[in-house]
Amino acid sequence: MYGGGNTFEGIKTDSIAQEDPVKLAEFEARIERGEKIEPTDWMPALYRKQLIRMIEQHAHSEIIGALPEGTWITRAPGFKRKISLMAKVQDEVGHGQLLYSAAETLGKTREQMIDDLITGKSKYSNIFNYPAFTWADSCFISWLVDAGAIVNQLANAKGSYGPYCRALDRICAEESFHLKYGHHCVIYLATGTQKQRDMFQEAINRWWTPMMHFFGPSDKISAHTEVLMRWKVKMSSNDDMRNQFLDMYVPKIWELGFTIPDENLKKNPETGRWDYTEPDWEEFKRVINGDGPCNKERLEVRRIAEERGRWVRQALKKAQTKYTVPLA
Amino acid sequence: MNSLDPRVNRLPVVGKPGEISPKAPLDQLGTFEVFVQPKEGKPFQHEGIVHAPDVEMAFVLAKEAFTRRFMCVSLYVCDTRNVYVSPLTEATANAYDLISDTVEKTGGKTSFEIYHLPKRGKQHVHAGTVQAGSPQEAMAEAKRMFKNDKTVYNIWAVRTSDIRFTSAEEKDLWLTLSEKKFRDASDYKGGDKLKEFLERNNA
Repeated sequence: MYGGGNTFEGIKTDSIAQEDPVKLAEFEARIERGEKIEPTDWMPALYRKQLIRMIEQHAHSEIIGALPEGTWITRAPGFKRKISLMAKVQDEVGHGQLLYSAAETLGKTREQMIDDLITGKSKYSNIFNYPAFTWADSCFISWLVDAGAIVNQLANAKGSYGPYCRALDRICAEESFHLKYGHHCVIYLATGTQKQRDMFQEAINRWWTPMMHFFGPSDKISAHTEVLMRWKVKMSSNDDMRNQFLDMYVPKIWELGFTIPDENLKKNPETGRWDYTEPDWEEFKRVINGDGPCNKERLEVRRIAEERGRWVRQALKKAQTKYTVPLA
Repeated sequence: MNSLDPRVNRLPVVGKPGEISPKAPLDQLGTFEVFVQPKEGKPFQHEGIVHAPDVEMAFVLAKEAFTRRFMCVSLYVCDTRNVYVSPLTEATANAYDLISDTVEKTGGKTSFEIYHLPKRGKQHVHAGTVQAGSPQEAMAEAKRMFKNDKTVYNIWAVRTSDIRFTSAEEKDLWLTLSEKKFRDASDYKGGDKLKEFLERNNA
């Protein structure tokens, strides 16, 4: 799972002017031909920087995203749900490992990435700064947050950086189980007792704003990304991905007889796109900068785990080990 | 901390919130390359890396990281530092054309495993085994044996003795994969329940 477009600050494109024009032209021609960029290829500094930021944020999102769901494993209703949720959470942590490895091929060490997560320097998907109060919240995450992530990941899997695409292909294959599992859980709540239906309706009401935030700020207010689109770092605009998600899942939510807390939400027959109330982007900015309901808890859980595991890593470390950048 | 999760509330107080002493180099250990065989008779292919203290632990972690589902009948790992790498080429340039034919032949020969990158963006695939006295000689030998009209974009050579293989007794590690249906999308069929619900509502 992952939220795209959550890097709010604009990018500085001045550094491109300092790149070697011949190498830059070759690089762009390779992407134009549809060939992937591999770690040992020449690449512009801005490309490397943006990719590190994006892949690293994606990795952190997988690890932090496992926390609100992981907390429901012991309380999931019945053995089958427990074993499924456990498998899903294990997948998410595994995805984090794959993505950290892909980011490492660009030259940032895993140690540095973990430090930057814990000190708050690196971000992760904003949606995980909200709490999962009930089992229905956990089902909302499994079905709809994962659905949003798949929209984003399928787009990014067609990007230009080889190691990231390889990791995403593997991740997307596994996410299909998460999505089906999540939908299965929701169908059972929807066709259950009135109390179960109310639980899921309340979860939708709580999660709708963060879900709309998930794809990042509206194109009208977000930084220009033409160069990143040309380099196939960013594959789709935030609004396009949001629209694709609404197109695929709003009918499925309505079909189950639930309502969505936005009276302006409807498909515009003229444009073929969804009209909706812009979510509160000030809230998004505030939460991503640390002032959300769960930011502190998420980072504390991660930090304490890191501190408590320190002695194990030290005990395992061999004196002669030297770091080597992975190959692919 | 005041969390909804009682296990979080029970966590011991360690250090100060938001503060962590910067990690020492290699706190997360070194890296190992992982190769998986999807089916009997198919070649091994590169899947990714794991961080581990040694090759034995890397083998265990690779099993968890790369063979939870999908087909797998065997896997092996080797230290990233033991992989010898050719230059990477593009378009129609064959990486073998950059390998010198004339290498100084050395005495004692050992076996090397050779891997090809058949397409940029794809994984390295096992091409075969050669006998050579040095990695350079292994690359030249691979050129003689495996080069054909198919373009290869990158070549890896690894000394066979540096690889931690799956032993015959360990092959049963993956026998239960097909029983773990809960990891597969096909195990979550809600269609009938949904249809019945919709019919009832529309009636």
